[in-house]
Amino acid sequence: MANRLPEEFSDLEGYADWAEPTEAARMARRIGATMAELTDYYSTVLPRMEAIAAYLDQWDLPDLPDTAKRLLYIGMMYMEVAVAVELFKDPDVPESSPVEKLTVLTEHGERALLG
Amino acid sequence: MNAPKHAFAAMYPELGTGPVSTESAVSKEFFELEREKIFRHQWFSLLKRDSDIPNPGDYFVREIEIVGVSVLVIRGDDNKIRAFHNSCTHRGNRLVHDDMGCTVGMQCDFHGWTFNRQGELAYVTDEEQFYDLDKSELGMPTIHLDIWRGFLFVNFDETPDQTLETAMGDFNQDLSPFAFDDLECIGRYRYEVDANWKTTMNAFQEGYHVALVHKRSAPDAFTGDDNPYCHLPKVKLQDNGNQSLAVPAAPEHKLSPTEELAFKFGSTFTQGVGNTEACPGTWQGEAENWGFDLNIIFPFSRINVGAGWCYVDAFWPVAQDQTVYELAYYFPKPVKPSQMISQEFSKVVLRDLSREDLATNEMTHAALMAGSINKIQLSDQEIAVRHLYKTVTARVAD
Repeated sequence: MANRLPEEFSDLEGYADWAEPTEAARMARRIGATMAELTDYYSTVLPRMEAIAAYLDQWDLPDLPDTAKRLLYIGMMYMEVAVAVELFKDPDVPESSPVEKLTVLTEHGERALLG
Repeated sequence: MNAPKHAFAAMYPELGTGPVSTESAVSKEFFELEREKIFRHQWFSLLKRDSDIPNPGDYFVREIEIVGVSVLVIRGDDNKIRAFHNSCTHRGNRLVHDDMGCTVGMQCDFHGWTFNRQGELAYVTDEEQFYDLDKSELGMPTIHLDIWRGFLFVNFDETPDQTLETAMGDFNQDLSPFAFDDLECIGRYRYEVDANWKTTMNAFQEGYHVALVHKRSAPDAFTGDDNPYCHLPKVKLQDNGNQSLAVPAAPEHKLSPTEELAFKFGSTFTQGVGNTEACPGTWQGEAENWGFDLNIIFPFSRINVGAGWCYVDAFWPVAQDQTVYELAYYFPKPVKPSQMISQEFSKVVLRDLSREDLATNEMTHAALMAGSINKIQLSDQEIAVRHLYKTVTARVAD
């Protein structure tokens, strides 16, 4: 199968499915995952974050090619996952308003990337 | 920081120090009075900026449940932003069904009447069948809209009794120099809360809850050895109901590996771009260990400002026991992908933190409704809660 992420990041190819393009989808994936999956994603992607940023910053946001966009979503998914791993120690937010009560609306940056 | 004991009560002695009745949060009759005496006459923040609809034809639709009106806000060909009832002047059908977009005009899907971007009636299907129709009189019904430092506000009064500039008057000296124009909306959220709007908003009007409610999301960002209960360094309460509260930051806050990354790639909500110099339009220069400011525009919307970022929110009353909480974050417009990744950190933490803020509201409201308690006890740190009840009760009695 062809690589979905840039070649330099083939080590992350196993996580290509996690490249969700919207915040709502990233949040749902995080909350639907197990803590073991989140911890694995966190410890795999954290050491690669600086390289991801350096690679992506070859372009300005509007000029990102599709494979790089997926890598951007891997980086944004990292932030979603890291908050669960570092702060909440739980995929969801304990002692909070249930997620069903929340609607995440899309905004400019997200829509612009979706094209 | 050791604030003098009861400093705020000394600043605002007219607010008193006794328990506050819960009657105004549990009474359906009181809610109807609020609707008639307050909500129908106030300027409401739509939580959007003029830059959110930058081009002619850009629009958004907002349901304002408290007055039962669907509002269409659209930028015209003359670049002016207008607000209309989202209704066809033929027989009243809803015109626009999408939440946002860009359009050349509005066509009613009932009989095809068409309005241009200025809301004027441009075309009537089979017009000859009507009698003496004056199209120039049948534009979409207008709603008062005004803009304060880029923020869009509407007012449902036939003739608003004060201008938006006057309604925002007491904030001007504080807020107006803030660099709002550099920011772009990066996240927007909507919550449905089964609780009275005041009970819901009260959870966002003090720092007293931070150590417990945010023990996971912000274990050391706003509370520390110096200030374990998040005492507010500054409070300003206005006769018109507006409030400004400074929230402290804890200097000993330790960055997690991810927050460190986020700061390296951009700015964060705890390590802002303006962190090393005073950020104009905020209390940063005057408050020791400043974090961010909450600015409450009476009755229920806010423009909250940090170092190089802001968030706007509103506690939209729907019914006596129902509230919609909407919030939106504005950060510097990202140019590079790494900045977008960086902002995702602040956005996710603040989003999850807002879910914690909303954890207690429904249970609190249920207890008040059951009559389990009929008055609440408020400390000096909760003086903004006291001030809200005082202002609302006075307006309703007017």
